Amino acid sequence: MSGGIGAHGLAGQGARQEGRSPLATWSERHIKWLLVAPAIVLILAITVYPLGYSVWVAFVNFDFLIPGHAFVGLGNFAAVLGDPVALHSVVVTAIFTVADVGLEFALGLALALALEKTFRGRGVLMAIFVVPLFIAPVIVGQFWSLLLQRPFGPMDYILSVILRHPVTISWLTEFPWDFIGIILADVWQWTSFILVILLAGLAGIPAELHEAAAIDGAGGWQNFRFITLPQLVPMILLAVTFRLLGAVNLFDTIFMMTGGGPGTSTYTAAYYLYQTGFQQFHLSQATAGSWLFLILVSVAIFLLVRRLLKVEEA
Amino acid sequence: MTRKRGLWSLWRRFGIGRSVLLGLFLLFVLFPFYWVAVTSIKPSSDYLAMPPVWFPAHPTIVHYVAALFAYRGLAGLLNSLIVAVATTVASVVLGTCMGYSMVRFGTGGRDLAFWVLSQRFLPPIAVVLPIFLLYRSFGLYDTRFGLVLIYTVMTLPLSVWMMYAYFRQVPRALEEAALVDGCGWWGAFWRIAVPLAVPGIIAAAAFAFIGVWTEFFFALNLTSRHAFTLPTVFRSFLSFQGAQYGESSALAVISLVPSIVLGMLVQKHLVRGLTLGAVRG
Repeated sequence: MSGGIGAHGLAGQGARQEGRSPLATWSERHIKWLLVAPAIVLILAITVYPLGYSVWVAFVNFDFLIPGHAFVGLGNFAAVLGDPVALHSVVVTAIFTVADVGLEFALGLALALALEKTFRGRGVLMAIFVVPLFIAPVIVGQFWSLLLQRPFGPMDYILSVILRHPVTISWLTEFPWDFIGIILADVWQWTSFILVILLAGLAGIPAELHEAAAIDGAGGWQNFRFITLPQLVPMILLAVTFRLLGAVNLFDTIFMMTGGGPGTSTYTAAYYLYQTGFQQFHLSQATAGSWLFLILVSVAIFLLVRRLLKVEEA
Repeated sequence: MTRKRGLWSLWRRFGIGRSVLLGLFLLFVLFPFYWVAVTSIKPSSDYLAMPPVWFPAHPTIVHYVAALFAYRGLAGLLNSLIVAVATTVASVVLGTCMGYSMVRFGTGGRDLAFWVLSQRFLPPIAVVLPIFLLYRSFGLYDTRFGLVLIYTVMTLPLSVWMMYAYFRQVPRALEEAALVDGCGWWGAFWRIAVPLAVPGIIAAAAFAFIGVWTEFFFALNLTSRHAFTLPTVFRSFLSFQGAQYGESSALAVISLVPSIVLGMLVQKHLVRGLTLGAVRG
């Protein structure tokens, strides 16, 4: 952000030299704002304006079937907070978020450590490992429902062969296997996200630190505990916050794998709001819920964005 | 005790633990691809065989034909391509302009940067309802143009940020030389800075394309019969109880191709792209 050139002085000079038309002179003088204006206008129109509009929707009774928009105050918010399914969906979201990000972190860290030193085939492995990052989450949901679905999917058969006794799990309809299935799909897709970031972090640790530790007689575990881990903390925080902000929006795999079911047992917050707004058309209630959800996650957004800016300035 | 220590040193020396971990994870990553690819060419009669058919004796392409035509996969594919290309162009053009202005003139300072970045983390569910109402009243619901608008905003933070990082590496001296030659700032931007930033533009474009190609939630809620994209076609396999294994697999395989190709293309920029420039890979 630092050290912009005084656009005005230089630009004015250039224009005078050439003797251009007034329009060219004007555009030359205001280039810095002309370059950012289209993007700003678009963001204002597509997210800021709708968000402002939705404040109004959250406080009235907005229904396609009922004419007029009666002011209901906090009624919509009360309706969401009083809905047991809404509260359940928040708990489910928390469970998935913690389980997903926790497992992805543990596995991602282990893989990053295993891939830290170069060896033959490492590049190929990495190229394969990152492929899930580029796939539509809805297709990942499709992948896993094809693998887990009874009687078509091979998962039960594979487990039967490994465990040597018949396994008959209804993965997509039976608690807790439906949760495990959805977590598997998320771990499959996003573990490499943590892996890629932590690997970059590991590469950034100065080799001298490890050498010095080795001279002092530190073993492998001590080296990891007292050198690698503390050095890696900023990257860990970054990767985990990114994933947390992705995980709280969990929707696509739920949509494909369980459809929120059985009943409403695998409703996440996003899925609940989608059902309320787009399937039952309780638009005002869903909008109020969206605001509550946004307020819940905005602390995490704020912290992450502030951290991203700090890195860019360094 | 000695036996234990012996095993431990063996483990350490040959990295057995590491090999097992990497091997298992490789299997975990690859197996779903294999299963979907095989399912897409399996005749329906092989679906429920026990043990599962690991490779069909008589591979078939009927599922591809059905997925593309009977389930309107082709229409979804075309919509996805059009929307993704248009969004990529818009996002990269706007991102390049904004990134340049922020680097060279420090436009907007920290506040603008913060604002643009935070757009990236806005939960889709928080904005989709008002956008849906807005689109309905402006006739943008179920149009490709409507999708392009929201997708451009969705991909813009990453485009801006990648271009911001790139322009910071372009030496200012070259543009100053152009200014002295009477180019003006527009000339310096267009003829000097942009050509130097082409690698960054390509990376930003690839990320924008992938972002649109894989997006489901907005497409699900903002389109229906006309502007529906490829990911939303998977919806139609849910309403029938389960027998469309081959068709849905075939469509998944088709959708994977651009993802994998572009994924390879951005490998070098992966770390930066995934973290909005926070980590230099």
